[in-house]
Amino acid sequence: MTAPGMTVENLSLRVGAFALRDISFTVGADEILVILGHSGAGKTVLLETIAGFNRPDRGRIRIDGEDVTAAPPEARRIGFMFQDYALFPHLTVAQNVAFGRRFAPSGTDAEPVEALLERLGVRHLADRKPKHLSGGEKQRVALARALAASSRLFLFDEPLAALDARSRDQLRRDLKEFLRLASVPAVYVTHDQAEALALADTIAVMRQGSFAQVGTPSAIFNTPADAEIAAFVGVETVVEGKVVALTDGVARIAVNGAFVHAAGAVMPPVGARVLACIRPEDVALAVLPQRDSSVRNQFPARVVATESAGLLFKIALDCGFPLVAYVSKQSYLELDLANRREAVASVKATAVHLIAR
Amino acid sequence: MSARASAAPRAAHHPRGLTLAFAFAAGLLLAFIVLPLANLYGAQSEASLARVAAMAEVRSAILLSLGAALATTACAALLGVPLAYLLARTSFPGKPVVEAIVDLPLAVPHTVVGIALLFVFGRTGIVGAPLEQWTGLKFWGTAAGVVIAMLYVSVPYAVNAARVGLEGVDERLEKVARTLGAGRWAVFFRVTLPLGARGILTGLALTFARSVSEFGAVIVLTYYPMTAPVKIYDLFLQSGLGDSSAMSALYLAITLSLFIASRYLFRERREPESMPAR
Repeated sequence: MTAPGMTVENLSLRVGAFALRDISFTVGADEILVILGHSGAGKTVLLETIAGFNRPDRGRIRIDGEDVTAAPPEARRIGFMFQDYALFPHLTVAQNVAFGRRFAPSGTDAEPVEALLERLGVRHLADRKPKHLSGGEKQRVALARALAASSRLFLFDEPLAALDARSRDQLRRDLKEFLRLASVPAVYVTHDQAEALALADTIAVMRQGSFAQVGTPSAIFNTPADAEIAAFVGVETVVEGKVVALTDGVARIAVNGAFVHAAGAVMPPVGARVLACIRPEDVALAVLPQRDSSVRNQFPARVVATESAGLLFKIALDCGFPLVAYVSKQSYLELDLANRREAVASVKATAVHLIAR
Repeated sequence: MSARASAAPRAAHHPRGLTLAFAFAAGLLLAFIVLPLANLYGAQSEASLARVAAMAEVRSAILLSLGAALATTACAALLGVPLAYLLARTSFPGKPVVEAIVDLPLAVPHTVVGIALLFVFGRTGIVGAPLEQWTGLKFWGTAAGVVIAMLYVSVPYAVNAARVGLEGVDERLEKVARTLGAGRWAVFFRVTLPLGARGILTGLALTFARSVSEFGAVIVLTYYPMTAPVKIYDLFLQSGLGDSSAMSALYLAITLSLFIASRYLFRERREPESMPAR
C-alpha cells in the first residue's frame, strides 16, 4: 500500500516469433494510460502478461507497491475487460457481479453486491441474463463485477471495438466518468486514436512489442517522435527539408523550393535535415494572403482534390510540397472549394513540428 | 410462426430441383430407419408382449442392460470429460495420435473387442487375474464385464461430443473468471463445465444409447448374466421369432423413450437462453 497505482519495470517476454521488449511505465491511482497501436503490436500480449496469463522473461510488475510478477492471475486482483465485456452467459447479472466474492479473502470490507448494483445503476437488471442487456448495461455490470472482486487495477482490451460509433462515444464517456470516481488505475488498449484522445491521461504508442513514444495526448498528437507515429496519429503532412536559417527561435526550412517556418523550444541547427509535420486541422484556407497576419507560413496553393471526410472536408493542396487541410463545411462553401483552383494556406510556425533526420 | 412464414423469401414457395431431389432421398433414408422399428411394433399382439414382459429372465435382462449402461455412462463421464478437456484446451506433442486412439473403438468389430477384452480382463487376463486376486472383482461372467464391454465401444461418443462442447466455451470467460479470483479448478467447475454441459450431456446420451444397444462385445465377454440384446438372441435361438420379436419391441419401447426423452430434455434446457429480449 506504499505507492498506490501500478508500475511495470523493464518487462520482456518472448512468445514464439513475437517479443515484448523492455517495457516500463507507471500508472497512478487516478490515471488512465492508453496504449495505442496497430493490431499485432503486442498490446493484448502486454495486457495478458500484466494480468498474469504470461510469465515474463524479465522485469517486474507491482500493484500498490506489491510485487505480483510471480503471482497467478487469481491472486492479483485485476479487473480485465475484454471486447464486449465477456459476462458469464449462464449467470444472471447479480450472479455475475457476485462471482468474485466467494474467492475474496474473508473479512474484506468490500462493498456488498446489492450496493454495487445500485451504484452502477443495474439493480433493476439483477435477475436478467447478459444476453438481454444493452452495450452500456454490459459495461456497467462488468465494472461492478470487477469492483466486487476488489480489483486494484483495470485492464481494458478494446472493450468498445465491436460497437457502433454512437454507443461507443456514450460508453466511453460513461467509462471515463466511472474511472475518475473509482480512483482505480486503468490501462486501456486501443488502435483508435480518437478513443485514445478521449480517455487518456497518458498515451503510450506501441510498435513491434515496445513503446515507441510515451507522453500526454497533446505531446503524442502534436509532437510525434518519428514519421511513422506521425502518420498513425493523423498528421497528414510530413515533408522533408533542410534548415537554412535560424532567427529568434524560428527555423526557416527549405522544402522543395518553398519555405516553411517552424518555432519551438528546441530547434535543430542550420544545415540539419528535418521532417516537418503539419496536422490538417492546423491549416487555415483563405482566398487572398492575409497582409497583416502574424501567421508566418502563408503558402499560395493549388487545390488538387477535395473529399468529404465525415464532419469535415479534406482538401489536398499543392504548394510546392503536398499539404492536407481539414475545413468545416461552412468554410468549404464560403471559399467555393468545389470549384476553386487556387487558395492560400496558412499555418502558425508553432504548429509545425520538426523531427530530426 | 405465421409471420415468419409470410416473411420467408419467395424462393421457399418454389423449391428448386435440388431441394426436391434431396428431400426425396432424405425421405427414403428416414423411412428406411423408421419403418423396420415401427413394423416390429405392428407385428406384436398385446398378449405376446404381456407374456414376454411377465418372464422373470426378460425383466432381469432389461434391468441389467439399463443398469450397466447407466454405470457405463458414469464411467465415461468421469474418464472421458478430463480427456475431452485436455483435447479441447491444450496442445501437446502426439495429440493427433491421442485423437486417433479415441476413435479407434469405432473401427474395431465388436466381436473382436470382446475377444481382446477377454485377454485383458478375463480370468487369466493381464488385468483381470491380479484384480480378481487382490480385490475379488471379476469381469468374466459378471455385470462388471458388461460395463467394460459397453464402455470400450461407447467411449468415443462421450469424448468427442464433450470435446466439441468444451471447445465451444469462450476462453475469455475462463480468463475473466481467473482475474476475479477463481483458481483453475473453480474456473472448470463454475464456468467451463456449466457452459460445456450441453455437449457433454449429448455425448453421455449417445454413450447410454450405444451401451444399451451393444451386443457383440458383451456376448463374447459375458454371455451370462444376460443383457437384453443377449437374451433376445437367446430367445431367437430357442423359440424362434415369436418371443424374441416381442421382447425386442418391449426393449425398444423402453430404450427409445429414454433416448427421445434425453434429447428433449437437453433441447429444453437451451430454450430460455435463446428467447429474444423483450
